[in-house]
Amino acid sequence: MTLDPLNAVLIGVILLLAVGFYGLLITRNLIKIVLVLQILVKAVVIALVLAGKASGQPGLGQSIAATVIVADTIVAVVALALAVQVRIRFGTLDLSKISSLRG
Amino acid sequence: MTAILVSLVIGIPWIGALILWRTSDEAPRLQHTLAVAFSIAAGLSSLALLPYATSNTVIDIPMGSVFGNLTFTPDGLAVTLTIIACVIGSLAVIFSVDYMKGEAQLSRYYAFVLLFIGAMAGLVLSGSILFMFFFWEITALCSYALISFYNDDPKAVAGGIKALIITQVGGVGLLAGALITYATLGSYQISDLINNTESMPANLLGLIAFGFLLAAAAKSAQFPFHTWLPDAMEAPTPISALIHAATMVNAGVYLLARFYPAFVHVPGWALSVTIVGLISALITAFMALTATDLKRALAYSTVSQLGYMVYAIGVGGFFASQFHLLSHAVFKALLFLAAGAVIHAAGTRDMRRMGALGRQMPFVRNVFILGALALMGLPILNGFWSKELILEMGLTHGPLWAYVGMLLVAGMTAFYTLRMTWLVFFGKAREALHVHETGIAMKISLGLLAIGTFTTWLLAGPFSHMLQQTLVFHSVTELTTLELVEEILFTPATYGALAVVTLGLGIFWLGRKQAAVGKEARFDILSRESFGFEWLNRQVTSLTLQAGSALQKTQTGKLNWNVMGILGALLAVLAFLLWSA
Repeated sequence: MTLDPLNAVLIGVILLLAVGFYGLLITRNLIKIVLVLQILVKAVVIALVLAGKASGQPGLGQSIAATVIVADTIVAVVALALAVQVRIRFGTLDLSKISSLRG
Repeated sequence: MTAILVSLVIGIPWIGALILWRTSDEAPRLQHTLAVAFSIAAGLSSLALLPYATSNTVIDIPMGSVFGNLTFTPDGLAVTLTIIACVIGSLAVIFSVDYMKGEAQLSRYYAFVLLFIGAMAGLVLSGSILFMFFFWEITALCSYALISFYNDDPKAVAGGIKALIITQVGGVGLLAGALITYATLGSYQISDLINNTESMPANLLGLIAFGFLLAAAAKSAQFPFHTWLPDAMEAPTPISALIHAATMVNAGVYLLARFYPAFVHVPGWALSVTIVGLISALITAFMALTATDLKRALAYSTVSQLGYMVYAIGVGGFFASQFHLLSHAVFKALLFLAAGAVIHAAGTRDMRRMGALGRQMPFVRNVFILGALALMGLPILNGFWSKELILEMGLTHGPLWAYVGMLLVAGMTAFYTLRMTWLVFFGKAREALHVHETGIAMKISLGLLAIGTFTTWLLAGPFSHMLQQTLVFHSVTELTTLELVEEILFTPATYGALAVVTLGLGIFWLGRKQAAVGKEARFDILSRESFGFEWLNRQVTSLTLQAGSALQKTQTGKLNWNVMGILGALLAVLAFLLWSA
C-alpha cells in the first residue's frame, strides 16, 4: 500500500496536534506549556505549507508559514520571559498554585 | 427644504444635548435658558415640517452594505409623532425650569432630555428598520438614564434597570425582524418590506410580525410587560409626562400602526394584538382602582389607554388609534405635569395624605380637571372623540367580547379618574400640607396643554386628510371633523359608552366617603403584585442569579480544564459538520 505524500504530511500534522493538545491537557508547568504550544505551532506551520501545496499556491503558503515562524518566536520569547518573572514573584511554576481566576 | 427640516428636527436637539452636556452645573440659569431655547427651536422646526409631509424619501444616505441606507420619510404619521415629541418635549423642558430649580446635575438631565427628543423624532421619521432600531435603543437608554436620574435613590436605580431590561427584551424582537427582512429581501427599508409581503415565506413574515408585536408590547408596557411603567415613576415628573406618557411609550403603538398593512394578513396577528390591548387595558384599569400613589395611578391609566390604541389597531382602526394617540399624548402630559405641580408643592405622592388642595392651587386644579374629563372620555374634550371612535370601530369590526371588555374599562377609567381628582383636590384636608400655587413656567406649559386638550380633536379632519394623502400602504378614509362629529353623535354606541362612564362616576360618588380610608382593600394585594407578574419578574431575576452561581463552578481557573472545554467544543462542532454532511 502506497501513501500519497500529501496525506502522509497531513497525518504528521494531526499527530503533532494531538501531542500538543494532550500536553496542554496534562501539563501544569509553565515552561512545559510554552514547549507544548511550540509543538502546536509547528503543526500549524507544516499545515500551512501543506495547504499552499494542495491549493496550488505553494509560495503563498510558505510565505505565511515564514511569517508565523517569526511571530511565534516572539511569542515564545515573551512567554519564557514571563515564566521567569512568575518564578521570581511566586516562587513556583505550577499553574494550579498561581491561578487566581477561580469562580 | 424638507430634507433640511428633517435634519434640523433631529440635529437641533442632539447638538443641544452635546452643548448642555458640557455646560457647568455652576450656572443653572444658563442651562435652563439653553435647554428651553434648543427644545423650542426643535418644536418650531417640527411644526414647520407639517406642510411638507410627503410619502417620498427625502434623505437617502448609503451606509455600506451591512447597514443599508439611512433614509428618512416624513409622511403624515411620522410628522404627527415628531410634532408630539418635539412640542410636548419643549413644554416639558419649560415645565422643568420651575420643577428642577435648585437640583444638582442639570447638565446630565437636560442633555438626556434633548437626546431623547432627537432620537424619538429619528425613530418615527426613519424609513429603515435597522436605523429605527438604533433610534429605538437610544430612546430606551435615555428613558433608563432619566428614570434613574436621582441615582442615590435605590428605588430609582432599580426602576431604571427594570425598564431597561424589559424594553431590551422587546428590542430583540425588533432587531430580529430587521435582520430577517434583510436576509430575505436584501433591504432594510420599510417600504420594501410592506411591498413584498406576498413574495415572502409565510413563516418568516409571521416571525417578523410577532417579533414586532413583542417589541411593541415591551416598549408600550403592554401585557405581559406592563410591570416596568409603574416603577418608572421614580423619574422626575416632567420625564414621566414626556417619555412615559406622551412619546416613548407610544413608540410601540406607532410600530404596530406603521407595519399594520404588512402584517394584517398574518394568521392570528390581528387577534393577538386585540387581545394584548384588551388584557393590558383591563388589568391596569383594575390596578388603578386601588393605587394610592398619584403618579402610579396615572401610570396605570397610561398603560390602560395604550391598551385602547393597541386594541384599535387589532380591530383595524388605524386612524382611530393614531387619533387617540394624539389626544392621549396631550391630555396625559397635562395630567402628569399637573400632578408634578401638586407633588412639587405638597412634597408627597401619596394621595391619602392629600385632600382639599384645590383651594390653595386653583389653577392646577382646573387644568387637572380638564385632563381628567378628557381621560374619562366626556364631551367635548379630545379624549371623548378619540375614545368613542375606537369603541365604535371595536363594535363594528371587532369581536363583541373584546368590545364589552373595553366598555368595562371605560367605566373603570371614569371611576379611578374621579377618585384621583377627588382625593387630591376635594374632600377634607387630611394633613396640613403647606402648598403654594405654581410658578410661571409651569403655568405656561399647563395652560398650553389645557388649550390643546380642548382643541386637538378639531384637527381630526386635517389629520385624516394628511394621513390619506401621504400614507401609501394604509387605506385611510378621509373624514372631515364635521363628519366625525356626526358619526359619533349619531351612533348608539356612543351613548352606551357614556352610560357606562356615568355608571362608573356614580359608583365612586356613592362610595366617596370610603375612598380615603387607609385600610387595605381586598384586591389591593392583587394590584400591588400586578396579578402575579411582579412575582414572575422576581422569579426571572432570581433564576438568573441562581444560574449564575451554579455556572460559577465551571470557572475553575485551571488551564487544563479550559483546554479540555475548547477541545470538546471543537470535536462537537467537527462531529456535527461530519454528521450533517
